[in-house]
Amino acid sequence: MKKIELLSPAGDLERLKVTLLYGADAVYIGGEKYNLRANANNFSLTEIKEACSFAHKLGKKIHLTLNIVFHNEDMDGVEEYIKEAVVAGVDAFIVSDPFIISYIKSNFPKVEVHLSTQNSTSNYKAIEFFEHEGIDRVVLARELSKNQIKEIIDKVNCDIEVFIHGAMCTCFSGRCALSNYVTNRDANRGGCAQVCRFAFSNGDEKDFTMALKDMNMAEYIGDLIDIGVRSLKVEGRMRSLYYLATVIGTYREIIDRYYDKSLTPEIMEVLQQRLDRVANRETSTHYFMKEADYTDQYYSGRSEVSNQDYLGQVISYENNLIKFYERNYFEVGDLVELFTPKGEHINFVVTELYDEDMNQLEVARHPDSIYYLKVDIPIEIPEYSMLRIIERKKGE
Amino acid sequence: MKLLIEPSTKNNLYSDYVDGIILPLENYAVESIISFSLAEIKKITKSSNCEVFIKINKNILNEDIDDLTSILKELDKLNISGIFFYDLAVLELKNELKLKTDLVWNQTHMVNNYRTCDYYFKHGVKYALLGKEITLEEIIEIINKSKITSMVEVVSKPSVAFSKRKLVTNYYQDLGKSINTDITVREKITDTNYEFIEDSNGTSIFLDKITNGTSVIKDLYEANCQYIIFREYGIDNFKDLVIDTKKYIKDKCIDDKYIIKYKKLGDSTNFFFKKTIYRVKK
Repeated sequence: MKKIELLSPAGDLERLKVTLLYGADAVYIGGEKYNLRANANNFSLTEIKEACSFAHKLGKKIHLTLNIVFHNEDMDGVEEYIKEAVVAGVDAFIVSDPFIISYIKSNFPKVEVHLSTQNSTSNYKAIEFFEHEGIDRVVLARELSKNQIKEIIDKVNCDIEVFIHGAMCTCFSGRCALSNYVTNRDANRGGCAQVCRFAFSNGDEKDFTMALKDMNMAEYIGDLIDIGVRSLKVEGRMRSLYYLATVIGTYREIIDRYYDKSLTPEIMEVLQQRLDRVANRETSTHYFMKEADYTDQYYSGRSEVSNQDYLGQVISYENNLIKFYERNYFEVGDLVELFTPKGEHINFVVTELYDEDMNQLEVARHPDSIYYLKVDIPIEIPEYSMLRIIERKKGE
Repeated sequence: MKLLIEPSTKNNLYSDYVDGIILPLENYAVESIISFSLAEIKKITKSSNCEVFIKINKNILNEDIDDLTSILKELDKLNISGIFFYDLAVLELKNELKLKTDLVWNQTHMVNNYRTCDYYFKHGVKYALLGKEITLEEIIEIINKSKITSMVEVVSKPSVAFSKRKLVTNYYQDLGKSINTDITVREKITDTNYEFIEDSNGTSIFLDKITNGTSVIKDLYEANCQYIIFREYGIDNFKDLVIDTKKYIKDKCIDDKYIIKYKKLGDSTNFFFKKTIYRVKK
């Protein structure tokens, strides 16, 4: 049986490398044009080429988002851009405007075309339409139940991809122009201002809100594998390195353990806790097992929490010294966790801390500065391993 | 240029005054205020002299397919000028069942360029209701460059979003209060009201402000636009408006008194003269 694909987002080359090292099978990225995150950093064609080269050496794939809903003025040059992206090595395009599908399939038949969730595809008959067009994969609407997804898979031939983790749209994707009306920013061309997270006034009543909790499908990965989903997609091209490393690393472990039958409830609890550590909102499985209801929303305006867990990113490990970039304050005596792209997790108490000039310190208090930790860990600790706080020093 | 209207009550369909009416189909239409059963539609098609279009614009689910198939077959027996559709299942079924009824591509916020219009035209779609978030200039470019027959919504309270969720019920449930199905709320930054109207399919969100496109009718007429659409919901004295508009079009849109008279509908021209942006940093 072909193993399910874990598909990660990446907003830049460094995130892309991290997410592949942490276990993504494929990464979706946006170029400098035509994608729905117009305000992310996005990839130049040179960077796309480098991304493809890096991924292909690892036997992994790059999907390029080309999923804006085009206006007349956006169409000039799109064919040339597609050609250049194909030359750069892109394995698949994610599209929502269908006029592009036939162009890609007739000119580059070996390159896959995936229908974006922006189309909110929610039934097998609509997929049959796109199968006649040569579509290779459909990213389903996030409003579907397990049974509905299964019925679609049973009735169509193309691959099916579903979202498993991250922020949610309140309305059907593609069917919301709130951002256009409130901020003049075009949601279907990458300018969404997330107006569904705004609080609206309702006279004397409590503010009206419709913001959603994030999605977290960790508990149901086995179900998604069993019903035949081809790819599991994580949302968040604008997310941090730490977030991506944690989320992708955790889902990698869930998937691998499900296949080798070592995913016990106890291990699942630990893995869920790891995901919870990087969550900045509460989570839900939304429509997967029930009709979504009021418990899947927030009613108090924006509800994100800032996450201070992330302590640093490893640059190297030699002679028992971990060299790292600090991200958040910590000190000698704190219990921290080191985790690596290979999936190792090691807890230790900070005993010796040094600045870049090897002056011994009690506290690391300057984010983005380089520090050293003296440890006795008998494994390789590669670049892009990460440190996070487990417990602050007692008595603080 | 023909005038189509979508009525907001079943009492008056204005079919004697306009070129066509749009009837939202019960259980299958969203972002509309009323809906009509198949039986009602059959009756109306028999008694109306104008064109009748049907709106089937919800996101279709697997469990709808069998029923939708039967409905499309039934509609195909009637004298229907076209079916407004959002979900591609409708187009697939039309092609699969070889139905004769024409279709109107009506993917609310996505009908924005002439190449995609031509794509659907090539796949057997006769009409496209153009997006409300593009400019008049873009609309005219589509009319000029696409083979599809364009329709433009000119006067309405525009629908701005649709959610499968019961957003109003959920809000009142969280408050612990008895549930209403409709609510009007104010967006604080722009000080603009939005209406949330809920039914069994989900929640439709409307801008609580009339788009008054009476001043662009002349441009559309000169561009050889085939259909303009007015939606009655929220508009007073609608009968006078449609009668005056029909006369204005018949007189080749030269009577400026019409424009002056209907300034009373308000000064919002929506996106006809306002371009959206999407990149806020370099």
